[in-house]
Formats: sequence, C-alpha cells, structure tokens
Amino acid sequence: MVRRPNLQTGLIFAVICGTALTVSAANRGRSAGTSPPHAAQVAAEVDQLILADLQKNGVKPVDRCNDADFVRRVTLDITGQLPSPRDVTIFALDPEPNKRAVVIEQLLRSPEYGKNWARYWRDVIYMPATENRARIAQSEFEVWMADRLNSARGWDQTVTAMLTATGDVQEHPETALLIAQGAQAPEIAAEASRIFLGIQMQCANCHDHPSDIWKRNQFHELAAYFPRIAIRQMQQPISFEIASVNSDRGRGDFMRENPERFISMNDRNNDGKLTREELRSRAPAGMPPQFLDRIFELGDSNKDGALNLAELKSLPMPDQSRRGSTEHYMPDLNDPSSKGKLVEPKFFVDGSTPGHGLSDDDRRAAVAKAFTSPDNPWFARAIVNRMWCEFLGEGFYMPVDDLGPTRAARFPEAIDALAAGFVANHYDLKWLVRSIANSQTYQRRVAPKSSAEDALPFASVTPTRLRGDVVFNSLMQVLGIDEENAGGPRGAMMMGGPRAYQRTPRFQFDVLFGVDPSVPKDDITGNVPQSLFLMNTNSFRTALSGTNTNTRLGRILRENRDDRDALSEVYLLVLSREPSNHEVEICEGYLKDVGQRTEAFEDVMWSLLNSSEFLSKR
Amino acid sequence: MPPVSWHEDVVLTRRTLSRRGFLYGTSAAAAAGAFNFRDLMSAQAADLRKQGRAMILLFMQGGPSQLETFDPKPGTETGGPTTAIGTAVPGIQIAEGWEQTAKQMQDVAILRSLTNKEGQHERAVYQLHTGYIPSGSIKHPSLGCNIARELSPADRELPAVVSIGNGRAAGTGGSGAGFLGVDYEPFHVQNPGTLPENVATAVNESRFKRRLGLLDRLEGDFALRGGEAVVESHRRITDKSAKLVLSPLTRTFDFSQESAATRESYGNTEFGRGCLLARRLVESGVTFVEVRLGNWDTHQDNFDAVKGLARQCDPALAALIADLKQRGLFDKTLIVWTGEFGRTPRINPRTGRDHWPRNFNALLAGGGIKGGQVIGETSKDGTSLTKDPVSVPDLFCSICKSLNVNPAKENMSPIGRPMKIVDGGQPVEGLFA
Repeated sequence: MVRRPNLQTGLIFAVICGTALTVSAANRGRSAGTSPPHAAQVAAEVDQLILADLQKNGVKPVDRCNDADFVRRVTLDITGQLPSPRDVTIFALDPEPNKRAVVIEQLLRSPEYGKNWARYWRDVIYMPATENRARIAQSEFEVWMADRLNSARGWDQTVTAMLTATGDVQEHPETALLIAQGAQAPEIAAEASRIFLGIQMQCANCHDHPSDIWKRNQFHELAAYFPRIAIRQMQQPISFEIASVNSDRGRGDFMRENPERFISMNDRNNDGKLTREELRSRAPAGMPPQFLDRIFELGDSNKDGALNLAELKSLPMPDQSRRGSTEHYMPDLNDPSSKGKLVEPKFFVDGSTPGHGLSDDDRRAAVAKAFTSPDNPWFARAIVNRMWCEFLGEGFYMPVDDLGPTRAARFPEAIDALAAGFVANHYDLKWLVRSIANSQTYQRRVAPKSSAEDALPFASVTPTRLRGDVVFNSLMQVLGIDEENAGGPRGAMMMGGPRAYQRTPRFQFDVLFGVDPSVPKDDITGNVPQSLFLMNTNSFRTALSGTNTNTRLGRILRENRDDRDALSEVYLLVLSREPSNHEVEICEGYLKDVGQRTEAFEDVMWSLLNSSEFLSKR
Repeated sequence: MPPVSWHEDVVLTRRTLSRRGFLYGTSAAAAAGAFNFRDLMSAQAADLRKQGRAMILLFMQGGPSQLETFDPKPGTETGGPTTAIGTAVPGIQIAEGWEQTAKQMQDVAILRSLTNKEGQHERAVYQLHTGYIPSGSIKHPSLGCNIARELSPADRELPAVVSIGNGRAAGTGGSGAGFLGVDYEPFHVQNPGTLPENVATAVNESRFKRRLGLLDRLEGDFALRGGEAVVESHRRITDKSAKLVLSPLTRTFDFSQESAATRESYGNTEFGRGCLLARRLVESGVTFVEVRLGNWDTHQDNFDAVKGLARQCDPALAALIADLKQRGLFDKTLIVWTGEFGRTPRINPRTGRDHWPRNFNALLAGGGIKGGQVIGETSKDGTSLTKDPVSVPDLFCSICKSLNVNPAKENMSPIGRPMKIVDGGQPVEGLFA
C-alpha cells in the first residue's frame, strides 16, 4: 500500500512503542479498582453506551478509519499540526496493534499539544471580547495557558485562576476573560457562565429567559459576584491592571477621601501643593490626562497651576452611578436612570450564597468554588462537551455553549460517564483527550451527516474545517516556511510596542481565517477573502515554485524522476495520504495535457492546497 | 455585437434578469414586433434600477466634533474660534471648512439631534454599526449587512458589502455580518484605486482556469469518501471567488476610465478615492459600501485637526453627491455621514474636545431624503438637546425606510433567539416629508 522504503525505522519505532505500552498496561492492571478510572476504560464504556443507543435507533455505525486518516486526524486534533510524510509512512507500516494508543501518548507529551489548545482558548476568550484592548496580553495568555495544559494542571484550578485573577494583564494573563469583558460585572457573568458552564444566561440580563428556566434576578445574582473588578490603565509601558475595588468611592477616589495623605504622598518638593507634574508621575499608573485636566479645571480656583489642601477638599464629588458602585444593582427597566435594586451574590445552580458585603477576593473565591465544585454538574459537562465536539465535529449538546437543565443531550449517559471520569481524574484535560481519542467512536471514518434533523450523531465522524491556526501551521509545514523567517513572531515582537503581536504573520492570517471556536462547526464554511488568499496570495509564489530546488516541490521533483513517485510525495506532503488510482489517473492525464512537468506539478500542488480536504479534518 | 456601454452593463448586473422575465419579455417584444434586444435590455434596466437601492456610509471614526462640522456655535464660549458659513439653502449655516458641502445643501438633510449614551469608542462604533449594545455572547450583524441581505441579489459577481479604508484588525467590531454568515461578510479594500489584495491571479488567466478545472476534478474523491458537504460548500465559495477574479466587473476597482476632472473633484486623498470607489461600486451593483475616515478623536488641537480632516472630507462628500446625481443614481442611493459620538462643547485645556454622546450630528442625502433641511436643535451653547431627539434605533429605522427594508424583520441568532434588524425606534418622518 505504502511504497516507501522506511521499514527499518518503522520497526525500531514499533519495538520501542510496544515496550512502553506493555509497561503502562501492567500499571493499569495493578491499580484498577482503587484509583480513578482509566481513560481506556471510560473510552470503552462511552463506546458501548453510544453503540447501544445507535443500535436501538437502527443506526449502523461506519467502520474504523484507516491508519493514514487516523494519524492525520489525531495529530491535527492534539497538536494542531500535520503529521510529516515520514510520520504517516512509519505509522502505516507499524505492525503494533496498539499503535493508535501509543501515538496519542506521544502527541500528548509534545509541547505542541499545549500550544495548540492554548490558541483554541485564546480564541474562545478573545473572539467575543467587548474590550478589544484586552488583546494586548494575548501572547502572554497563550504562553500561560500552554504551560497549564502541558503540565496537566487541573481544569478546576485553571478556571479558578481565571475567575480570581488580579494584577497587570501582561504579567497575569489569567486576567484574560475579565479584561476581555471590560471588567463589567454583567458581561463577565454572562461569559463565565457560557464558557465554563455552557449555560447562556445573558438573555436574562433584561428579562426572564424566554426559552429557559433562568429568571432575571438569577442572572443579576451571578453578576453580583463581580461588581468590584476595575480596569486601571498603566502609562509606561502601556498596559492595564485588573484591580479589586472594595471601597464605595474607591475608583481613583483615595484623593477625595484622604486629601492630606494624598498631598503628602505626592508632594515631592514639599510645598504643600500638587502640580501637574507631581500628579502625572503618580504611581502606579499616573493619572489619565483628561482626568488631570478636569481636576485642575474644577479645583484650581486660584489658578496658580497647583492644587492645595483647601482646593482638593472643595473638589465636587463625582456622580454616584451604578457603574462606580461596589455592589451590583439590577437596573429598573421602567426607570433606567435610577440606581436600581441592590442584588446580593447567589449561585443559580445550587442556590448557595457566600454572605453579605464580601470583599472582591472573597466574592470571586466563592464564585470560583461554586463553578468548579464537583457537585456542580455543568462544570465538567461543559468542558467534556466542548472537547468532544472539537474532536468529533459535533457535541452531545449543540451548540457547545448551550447546555443547561432544559436542553436535551444526545447520549446523556455517555457524556455523564466522561464527566464522572474527568472529575475523578482531578479535572485532567490530558486524561479527557486520551479518553476521547482512544474511543472507537472517534476513530470511525468520516461520513456526511444525515440531513434528518433528529438523526443521531457519532455513527461516523463529521468532517469539519480546521481552525485558522491549524491551517496556518499546515501551510507553514507544507510549504517548508519557518514561522520565524516569515517575519515573526520574534521579528515582529522585537520591533516592540503594545501592538507588536499584530504584526506577526500568524496574527494577520488569523484576522482572515480566525473563527470563534464556540460557533457550530456546520456554520464554518470559509469565505471569499480566505479563498482569494489561498488562490492568489503572493506570499506563496516562491514556495510553490517547482523550478526552485530549495522548495519542497522543487526537491520532490528533483529526487523523484518518476512522475508517480513524485505524485505520491506531493499527496503525502499536502494531504498526508497516497493518491487514489482515480486521482493518479486525473493527474497523469493533466501532466500529459500540459506537457510541461514542473508547471503541471505546480498546478497539482496548487489544487491540493486549495482543496477542501486540505482545509478539513478527515 | 454592438458595444454595450459600461453604464448599461453595470445596471444589468444589479438585478440579474430572471429567466422567466427574459422569456416573457422576448415573446412580448416579438409579438409587438417593435422591440429589438437592446431596447428590451434598456427597458428592463430602467425597471431594475428602480429596485436597486444602495447605501454609502461615510463613517468618521473617533467621534467628529458637531461644533466644527454641522452644528457650529459661533460667538459662544463653547463654540471656540470656529465660524459659520452660509449654504445653498438660506437660513442653514454650517461650520467653516465645509464650503463644497454647503453648495450641495439643497440635497442634504442635517440631523443635529442624534443622542446616545455610549462614550467609549469601540462600544459606540459597534452600536452605530449594529444598532445593538455589544454582548460577548452574540455577534450582531451590521445594519449594512442586514440591508445587503434584504436587497442584494443572490447571484452576483461583486460582493454585496464592501468596506473601504477600514483596517481589518481588531477594533473594527460591529461592521461584520455576525450571525448572518459569510455570504454577507464585508469585502475589505485597503487601497482604493488599485485592485484589492489577492484579486489578481498569481498566474495568467488561462492557467488559472486550467488550475480551477484540475481542482474541481480532484475534489471528487474526498466527496465520495465522506466529505460531500464540505466539498459542496467549498465549491460554492471557490466559484464565487473565481467569479470575482475573472469578472469584468473587477475593473470597477480601476479608476483609469474616470476623467481627471472627476478624480480631482473627489480630492487627491485616500478618503476621496474611497468615495469615488464607493460610487463605482454602487454603480456596479454593490448594495452597501462603507468608507471610513479616522483620526476624529480630537482630545487636543481640535480646531486644527478638524480643519485638516474637513479638507479631506468636504470635497469628497460634495463630489459624491454631485456625481451620483449626474449619473441618475442619487434617488436610489442613500448617503449617511456620521461618527460614533460627538465631542464636548466645553473646550479642554489642550484646546481639545472630549467624548460626548449626548448630542451629535449626522448628514443624510439621496435615497428619497428631503434635502435642504435641519432636523433637531441644540441649545445656544450646544450642551443640551432642545428639539426632536433622535436615538440610534430612530436613525436606523429612517435608513430602513429610505431603502425600503422592514426594520422589524427578525433573523434567527445561533441560539435560536430572533433578533430584529432594528430593535425599537421610529423613522424620523420629517426626513421624508
């Protein structure tokens, strides 16, 4: 089947892997019963539950996918990269019956696993951001998240870190969700619930949820965990800080509350007055210029360009609006300009209340605890559903972020088995990946989804479009371009500045190809600008050349005088498989018609790069 | 074949002739014995143009000062050094620096009473594009994309929505198609006057077509191996892209056929070229075009800064009106000029003005708008609204009315929540009187 002479390496590989697997299988045997369930066990259970349900409904599952399809699929899913032609060949030749489990372990050990999923989470958090300046910390967030994922920190701990974060957003990128929603309590509540619990409550912001059980006050009780979060702008270097504000006039109002101390703290020349310069350099962030202007305009009554104690004390109080308060008020819909009704924090899932008048730290610690509690079924279900959907192309619940008590899951027992195993395994995402990827359900062939609305999924795998980052990685690999040499990220970052990340080729590619990963896969079809880019971009012109012997294609053509060999290499490179007889026939016919080998091969390579298969998981 | 004029050519593409209409027309014409083919085409074209409504949004990003544009307050402390000038319509005065626009005032309605609450750039830009307040959980389509969905024919070579001079990077929230999907996603043009990025083929046209043929045949195997649906939707998009690449309408992006006088009238600026391209696109059948001009966030040196911006905007705006009129497109094309908010009447110590959503202004022209009038009024010092407040939904309903789009039409969001094109609001009737 595969015509590459890589047998020797393949065998060595098989021997090593075989040994590793025997050892781990032995360990498994010893600890069974007492320790949390193993991934393989749960995978088998999930398979059985799904199979039984399918059979009950008269749906016949398709076969297992072949090795080339599997190794491409699992490498893309776990690491966001294509397997190299060599990886595909070795894997196909490997006689070890457990080779699929082995390759899953190898991929989970690769640092690319964390990087790939960190980019996924970057998109989940930032794509729906209402505060775009949050992106200033997105590179740091990727590094932070990749590290959490690669070191297998529990998902409960990661979510806790994200809900309780404070500090400079670049030094503490776990602030991502808070800054992405502009530190606004209702927005944070809506997004945290949607992303981490899969429950969409934002409709209940203004009225009781029309199609769900959530009441308006329940939404606002959730928001009441977050009213004490503030964004502060830092001047040099430009950044933002997520701060806790626990005093009612605390938003920059230390000045009005403690005028004497405020002067002594800032009065560098001890003349009893504060000049603009003294205030401008005020730590940590200095005052925004508009604010300074306003204070001097209002306060400097003797117009000497400085503020003395009397002038400071006579400054008018700022408007008491809902926004500046340390408690959450539910707006009165009949009188939107009034302060509204004070709402105390209360967790809608179990009705627990953390207490009254708590500090920001206490409130957020309480909400993190409630979110990640093993008694909260939605926390584990939401992440299991999300990951499963990313691997299989469809979730138990659809869309991935709309679960909740009134939504019906397909195969509810299967998702609960995965969720229970995940909790028992300390919310370890690697365990979850292992369980999903080792299941027979994941390893089925792709097939078109049934068009019937109530048709059960998972009798086959749904082919879906690759995420923007994954397409970018694939292009870099296939064209043999090094991301660094393509002008970034290091090159772009070295130029510095708060928006340096925007100059990286990856970012610019993402602008064109990025999609919010919470969007159902069915809805992601690509668009005209993406297709124009792939068809016509100048940036590939050199890399696609077959005459240049430094390109991947140039090398293939030089090393393979035989057209069929060269064709196999091109297919392995771009699509990670050998061409079918039918495809060989088409291409050979094309070569003959064009009559110019290099040119025809460039066209074949172009066609494969523009094919739906290259852009899809199969 | 007799040379068909460029103008007729483009009008025909706006609403592709239906097969049925064509056959009916032919037989009717044959029966009458009076019409030849070209007569029939012209008859159809006039009819089609009647429906072919379009909109050009001139968006002043950063928040333009109402006092230095269309609501000057000369001789007051808040008005600053800005003087007012007379216009073609007696009794209507606008700020100095807008002399060309002043000459077109008989065709322009000034809205001085726009009012909103949002004073943060991104959120306000989002709101002035979608009519909704941003929410992390739902991506609202822009009004332009909604309009395109309502008005634009399905079978078209050019995109339905084009956005000019609007960086694709972060910060342009609200101008996308949101949950309406890729068919209505705006096509971005960075350098008006040149062919947009990636529209020119990397190889010659015949080789490009040959490649497309090969691609099409090679897609077959994946379709058989389970990729059917993916292949099908990919093919649709590939066809659309190829259609654009190979379309004679791509010459819309090329200004070489425009006279030097026309080009000059728009001004030799990026924004001027953007407005000229907007006219050409509308003429070629594009339903919604946005042209952005940035740098209106004048926290300092407001007066000099706005003068510089007016020098770019004024000739382009005036030329656009005159040009559309001359080409008979004015009545079907609505021009809206606005920004995300206005600026404080109070002048700050750095001779700047800060954010002020309480009252700001907009211009409307064409598309059945009654020109030569001012709607709304602000107090003498410009700090409060004294007459006919107009909310963002009111403005949007007025736009819908001009374009014959039902603002109450609901589209489904992904979580199954129906969203109206415009939530609430009433059209400003005075605009149409």
